[in-house]
Amino acid sequence: MGTVRASARWIRADLRARRGQAILTVLAVTGIVTALITSATLLEDGTNPWRRLFIQTKGAHVWIHTEDAPDVAALSRLPGVEQVAGPYRTAPVTLVLDGKKSPVALREATAEPPRVAAPLVREGRWLRPADGGGVVAERSFAQALGLRVGDPFPVTALSGASHPLVVVGLADSSDQGFYPEWTPGLAWTLPETLNEIEPAQGRSESVTGLRLADGEDTLPAVHGAVTLLDERIQRMSTWREVSASMELDNRLLGLLLALFGTAGLVAAALALANATGGRVLTQTRDIATLKSLGYTRGQVFAVLVTEHGALGLLGIALGLACGRLVATFTLDGLPILPLSPVPLLAITGGTAAVVLVAVALPAWRGGRTPPIPAAPAAPPRGRLSRLARLALLVRLPPALVLGTRDAFTRRTPAVLSVVGLAVPMMMITIGLGCWATLDDFLRHPERVGQAAALTVHPGRLPAEVAARLAGADPDVAAVYPGAEVSALEPEQTRSVLARALGTSAEPYPFSVVEGRMFAARGEAVAGQGLLDLLGAEIGDRVRMTVGGTPLIVHIVGRVVEPEHDGEVLSLGIDSLAAKDAVPPQFYGLVLRQGADPATVRARLLAASGEALEVRAAVNPAERLAVIRVVIVALTVVLALLALANLLTASALGLRDHALDLAVLKAMGLTPRQVAATLVTGTGLPAVLGVVAGTAAGASVVAGLIDLQGHTSGVGAGIGRTPSAPTLAIAAGTVIGAALLVALIPARRAARAQVPVTAR
Amino acid sequence: MRADPVVTTVNLVKIYQNGGVPVPAVRGVDLRVERGEFVAIMGPSGSGKSTLIHMLGGLDPRTSGEIWLDGKRADTLGESAWALLRRKKIGFVFQFFNLVANMTVADNVELPALLAGASPREARERRERLLDALGLTGCADAAPAQLAGGEQQRVALARALANRPSLLLADEPTGNLDSRNTRDVLKLLGEVHRDGQTIIMVTHDARVASLADRVVSLLDGQIVDDGAVAAPRRRPRGTAGDVVELRG
Ligand SMILES: Nc1ncnc2c1ncn2[C@@H]1O[C@H](COP(=O)(O)OP(=O)(O)OP(=O)(O)O)[C@@H](O)[C@H]1O
Ligand SMILES: [Mg+2]
Repeated sequence: MGTVRASARWIRADLRARRGQAILTVLAVTGIVTALITSATLLEDGTNPWRRLFIQTKGAHVWIHTEDAPDVAALSRLPGVEQVAGPYRTAPVTLVLDGKKSPVALREATAEPPRVAAPLVREGRWLRPADGGGVVAERSFAQALGLRVGDPFPVTALSGASHPLVVVGLADSSDQGFYPEWTPGLAWTLPETLNEIEPAQGRSESVTGLRLADGEDTLPAVHGAVTLLDERIQRMSTWREVSASMELDNRLLGLLLALFGTAGLVAAALALANATGGRVLTQTRDIATLKSLGYTRGQVFAVLVTEHGALGLLGIALGLACGRLVATFTLDGLPILPLSPVPLLAITGGTAAVVLVAVALPAWRGGRTPPIPAAPAAPPRGRLSRLARLALLVRLPPALVLGTRDAFTRRTPAVLSVVGLAVPMMMITIGLGCWATLDDFLRHPERVGQAAALTVHPGRLPAEVAARLAGADPDVAAVYPGAEVSALEPEQTRSVLARALGTSAEPYPFSVVEGRMFAARGEAVAGQGLLDLLGAEIGDRVRMTVGGTPLIVHIVGRVVEPEHDGEVLSLGIDSLAAKDAVPPQFYGLVLRQGADPATVRARLLAASGEALEVRAAVNPAERLAVIRVVIVALTVVLALLALANLLTASALGLRDHALDLAVLKAMGLTPRQVAATLVTGTGLPAVLGVVAGTAAGASVVAGLIDLQGHTSGVGAGIGRTPSAPTLAIAAGTVIGAALLVALIPARRAARAQVPVTAR
Repeated sequence: MRADPVVTTVNLVKIYQNGGVPVPAVRGVDLRVERGEFVAIMGPSGSGKSTLIHMLGGLDPRTSGEIWLDGKRADTLGESAWALLRRKKIGFVFQFFNLVANMTVADNVELPALLAGASPREARERRERLLDALGLTGCADAAPAQLAGGEQQRVALARALANRPSLLLADEPTGNLDSRNTRDVLKLLGEVHRDGQTIIMVTHDARVASLADRVVSLLDGQIVDDGAVAAPRRRPRGTAGDVVELRG
């Protein structure tokens, strides 16, 4: 108890004496935790839309499709069932747009939205009692078909009768996955309208949703429903299938996040260890005094860990709070959900462990301080290093020489501050590399295999007309006929996409990074993902079934393939069987340099009287936009960490030279020269760290992104190193900031009257 | 039965290893200090005075020999046990004061009391009494750096006395002070000694040593002379008058 009180006083006094540094430590940890939570939240939100939708729509965990309406009371008595949605009558109809038929499940819904599994209206409005011919379409379905609010929604019932309906709203739902991964498309209409379209009860089904008390435990409810309804069940789905079908590929993002997160943690650990270690070193005398008063080794360790660890833990707590705050912001008008517990716990626990380890090591050293405080801890008197002697030889100003000598008299702190700046700088450089890569994606889409900014589907028009229309546009540089079929790999277990675009004689400008472009029938190029899947190498001949036709494919090159995890086979359209290739399914349009895809698209639509279907390619960089947020956030945090390291180094330098200052002044150095000496002492390791970090980052970034690309199937060949001016500016900024940070205390120290004796 | 001596050492030896070369600093010291004695240890620089006093306080482990404190064997204690012993029984005063720079004078003096388990109130009362007695009442909330050297050393003395230690160890307490401050500090030491405090003080100033009951001379780590200072003060009356004058 007594030690606790005494230690509390000591900690309070110490924190008061170094308020700024303590706040910076807290901020640095707060920053890291906030950045980690924010990126993880965005990542989770962006790649698992189901979670947000499910909570917002108060969705049902299990959906049961039966021939006719089941006994709701009996269902609600099943184990774990909290609420029941429906039953809703649902009729299969066909939506006919521009001659294209899409199957739709038309589901009844009242004007009053249900309490469970209520679709979430995102555009337009929900159904009203007077909406005789109105439907609300599920949003992903509407997007896939290009439907907007107010568009006609003509459906044909099983009887063959068609009904002109109108879209009044678009809504999100967690009842089923996104179209087209999940078919048929979903649309809601009033019960009367549904009755009119499909009067026959036998040709419709009944859909009932069960909301459970514990979503993890679906089995009892599912078993209960099977026992209860038995033969009448047509099919059943649980939230797990829905969630899985909505999930996007997040390997790329996840890996990047993990990389940045780990580096951020390492940097934070370095900063903390550096701050604690530096503080312990500056306090050697005080710690020795404590020991002479009767503190044991363990107690000193405990005091140091408590003080420095508490700062870190406070930072974590603040970071958690800030991370929570992020969830109150909105994305696309929808609030972001807070991070789910598992990653949250992982981040909290991981950071806490890192904080404690980083603090424990220097604290342990502090505990071993010998208890004899009488000998003032003098910095080791280094001989003039070879570098300093060289500086003297070439008649550099004395301040530089002295500073250079000072910079390395204490090895460990010098190394720590070099590394403490090099690691953040390396990560910032890698971040800039990711940024440059994304920019490169956007500026040169042809390098990621997206030379065609637009694809034109003939729609209602004959293919030749579509090709002629497209070719006639002044901004279209080239038109490549294309078709997409599925290809079965040799073991016939997984089908991959076979994309035919251009002909063997006049191939589409795929971005070939290894081998060569296909030039003859039967030759093809593949993405990294496909090569990995097949275990094939360039030059191999692989037996595949392409569009149902057996084909021996000669893989002659590898392309950068951003789609389908790189599991795509690209070949000339003349390699396909005639049934697949004639007429071409679509045309890929390469535009002239500088042409705006949106303008060309509008022109083509106008020229064809809206008959053509023109799609703009989605650049992978747009899907990865969240990375930029991560890069900015982490750069800020890393800069903060670097700053913390620098302050430690500068405080340590001052302490070591407090006695020297008087001597320096006595030697006749002006205050300015004294300040310059001190700045050189702290600045030199900083400059070394920044230069080393930048060099290391620049040399690994392209390789790292390529490695990343390889594992995500895109394939190597996308990594870009940030441009030399960018690197120079970044390094220059950090060095400038470092010198500035070193200058302020140095000037103050140089002006201050320095006592010649030890305190 | 006679009370145990406060300190007894038996053939105490300390050999430092300086880069593999053994440096004998203390070579077989037998010392016995009775309760209430004021012993000055003198000797030229490097004769092992600091080493000896550090060993007596457990700051430095001994190489061989025995140390008995208050009749209990202490040299066999581990580092932590020594720390616990120091809390209650030993007060240290160093040449460079060694106040904790970030803490106020009051906190510096209360620290040992709190460490030994006193309640904050008790620690405060003790501190007030001590600072009062040492004429430092006004400085309680000052930072050590704001005080003059002599004042700092008096605070250090107050801190060393906070737990009423059975032994006060002082390593050149006046080595860093001018003559006026030296006088102040010595006067205080004399007073606490008169109140019954056992003191072992290292100094190489013969005038400072003359204040003690007994002077032990060290040379090359061995006791070469151990004698009581003549009971009637050899110092001329004028000096004693100074002390009286200063006190007033
Ligand atoms: N940590 C150490 N490592 C090696 N040798 C040491 C160490 N401390 C002291 N010594 C040596 O032991 C001898 C005695 O040192 P000590 O400090 O006890 O002398 P001292 O009498 O206190 O001298 P001074 O009057 O200068 O304070 C000296 O030769 C010194 O060099
Ligand atoms: Mg000494």
